[in-house]
Amino acid sequence: MTYAYLFKYIIIGDTGVGKSCLLLQFTDKRFQPVHDLTIGVEFGARMVNIDGKQIKLQIWDTAGQESFRSITRSYYRGAAGALLVYDITRRETFNHLTSWLEDARQHSSSNMVIMLIGNKSDLESRRDVKREEGEAFAREHGLIFMETSAKTACNVEEAFINTAKEIYRKIQQGLFDVHNEANGIKIGPQQCISTSAGPSTAQRNSGDIESNSGCC
Amino acid sequence: MASDGARKQFWKRSNSKVPGSIQHVYGAQHPPFDPLLHGTLLKAAPKVPPTPVKAKRVSTFQEFESNTSDAWDAGEDDDGLLAMAAESLDSEVVMETARRVLHSHSQRQEQLKRQEPPPAPGGDLRLVKSVSESHTACPAEGAGGTVPLQRSQSLPHSATAAPGGPCDPSTLSSSALSEREASRLDKFRQLLAGPNTDLDELRRLSWSGIPKPVRPITWKLLSGYLPANVDRRPATLQRKQEEYFAFVAHYYDSRNDAAHQHTYRQIHIDIPRMHPEALILQPKVTEIFERILFIWAIRHPASGYVQGINDLVTPFFVVFICEHTEEEDEDVADVSRVPAEVLRNVEADTYWCMSRLLDGIQDNYTFAQPGIQTKVRMLEELVSRIDEQVHRHLEQHEVRYLQFAFRWMNNLLMRELPLRCTVRLWDTYQSEPEGFSRFHLYVCAAFLLRWRKEILEEGDFQELLLFLQSLPTAHWGDGDVSLLLAEAYRLKFAFADAPNHYKR
Repeated sequence: MTYAYLFKYIIIGDTGVGKSCLLLQFTDKRFQPVHDLTIGVEFGARMVNIDGKQIKLQIWDTAGQESFRSITRSYYRGAAGALLVYDITRRETFNHLTSWLEDARQHSSSNMVIMLIGNKSDLESRRDVKREEGEAFAREHGLIFMETSAKTACNVEEAFINTAKEIYRKIQQGLFDVHNEANGIKIGPQQCISTSAGPSTAQRNSGDIESNSGCC
Repeated sequence: MASDGARKQFWKRSNSKVPGSIQHVYGAQHPPFDPLLHGTLLKAAPKVPPTPVKAKRVSTFQEFESNTSDAWDAGEDDDGLLAMAAESLDSEVVMETARRVLHSHSQRQEQLKRQEPPPAPGGDLRLVKSVSESHTACPAEGAGGTVPLQRSQSLPHSATAAPGGPCDPSTLSSSALSEREASRLDKFRQLLAGPNTDLDELRRLSWSGIPKPVRPITWKLLSGYLPANVDRRPATLQRKQEEYFAFVAHYYDSRNDAAHQHTYRQIHIDIPRMHPEALILQPKVTEIFERILFIWAIRHPASGYVQGINDLVTPFFVVFICEHTEEEDEDVADVSRVPAEVLRNVEADTYWCMSRLLDGIQDNYTFAQPGIQTKVRMLEELVSRIDEQVHRHLEQHEVRYLQFAFRWMNNLLMRELPLRCTVRLWDTYQSEPEGFSRFHLYVCAAFLLRWRKEILEEGDFQELLLFLQSLPTAHWGDGDVSLLLAEAYRLKFAFADAPNHYKR
């Protein structure tokens, strides 16, 4: 199937926060209450449509355990987007965000778009991290933020797609060198890309990203 | 990487100097192999105490590297190769096996020729490669009644193959098959009865699969946990079981201490994510797994608990518990009716056997997982020599070996195979010198090339990777594993004995 762009993502965050479940919900539209442990890095892919353009997403889902960090680090390079996930019912997974972010910034290309995700929003009664805290962290570090539920599928689509929109917007602004694959972006076969799109497109896209209250 | 001429091929390095799992980290009792019995080329391994002791541990990758830097200076002389070949098997066994393998191979090739049109000409159809092809070219294999017999002939140490040469498989009926099984079981029982079990003979016999009724005791003997002397076994078992529960008494309460709660928490959230659920989720089983893993992690701070180690508990546990449950299928064993005392013994036995296995592959789990990194590189090197076409295909589509083979090493293929196949695989791994480390590498190469046809048909990075990370093995049985092992053995034999064939 033909596509305009290919974006590479990486999903990071503490073990057990639901990284693999988010990916499975996004690629297969199903939820597995007990997902196998991710060993090293696993792979998933799906096509999305942004602005009438077909975009192929290739996603690396990483193991959260510290021991695998030396393996998973090598996947930052070559990623255009990162989903940084914590579990809203476990405060410590939120507390570790800073170290994850440092790791990501240090090992990725500087333009990588990072989406902060508070997962398990269906477990409201067990909530340990307020939505506002997630928002504040994202604002402070220049990240996009959403709360999701891999179980109910709430905002899962949006999280992946909004990340793609932001990457697309950066391409339009000329912030990404699309010819350098190390940035995690590839132009589709036989595509003729003009990197100078009108500002209106970019604005409309960024507007979409802000209005993401959705179902959560 | 394979084209890097400056690098020495791993099978040409002196075995004892190669970094990675090849080197026992410490207190290693595995593999249960006495080099003194196998020719004189190899120096006797230093005596090691029966329990893991706090010997020199490697805490950083840099340290590890500097400790093992001599490995890369190993001489490229052929003596090393000879030593390596002789180390695994004595020459008689090697020659006999080679003869058998080649015979059965040519038989199979002939059969194939009769069934199939000749393969398209092109490339260098090496022996190894053509066999990998034959696996995929014959989908009926594994279902046919005569095929398993034919396979067993190609296995080394096949206990039943007539010394004068293999007989025609087509003449053997199913009753002959069960007779064969019965006679195998008899041989095991005789060996195990003592007074001293010949471990060498036990390994030979076990290589091609251990009958279920004698598997628990055979595994305990092969792992070096039980002594060969029958009279010493009960006392040894009791002592080790007491020792394990002394560890539990000593360490287990510390699981909520600040220093250890992270480890315990990790284990605690990982166990419910394991397979088979019907077994693991029984509360008693969950507790047993938590204790075993926590105690092991505390006693092995060089690696601690790394995800994947949890899987290695399961085969031992199911094999040992199945002695005491009624279910035929190990996946659903119900422990609720197993007496507490029996369950305790199973727990201690599982701990010690798992611990011995891990002694041989601990650098898979130390900082930066050097054992795995090395093995994945070795796998790449090996595949590039065996099947250049597959190797190039992966390369061309930018599929990296680490992307799919990391898990193969980290979980010893347990994630790629049904549990029953892992159990069968481990019969051989425990009979083979360095089964879980070096031989596993050859198994991985054979496993990858088992899918050669599908791989070559896939012309896209994405599809290749999706295929490689969920290979269709759900229906696999003993026959498939035996075939895989036979192929791995052939590869090992070819590379340890005649690497010049594969020189570029």
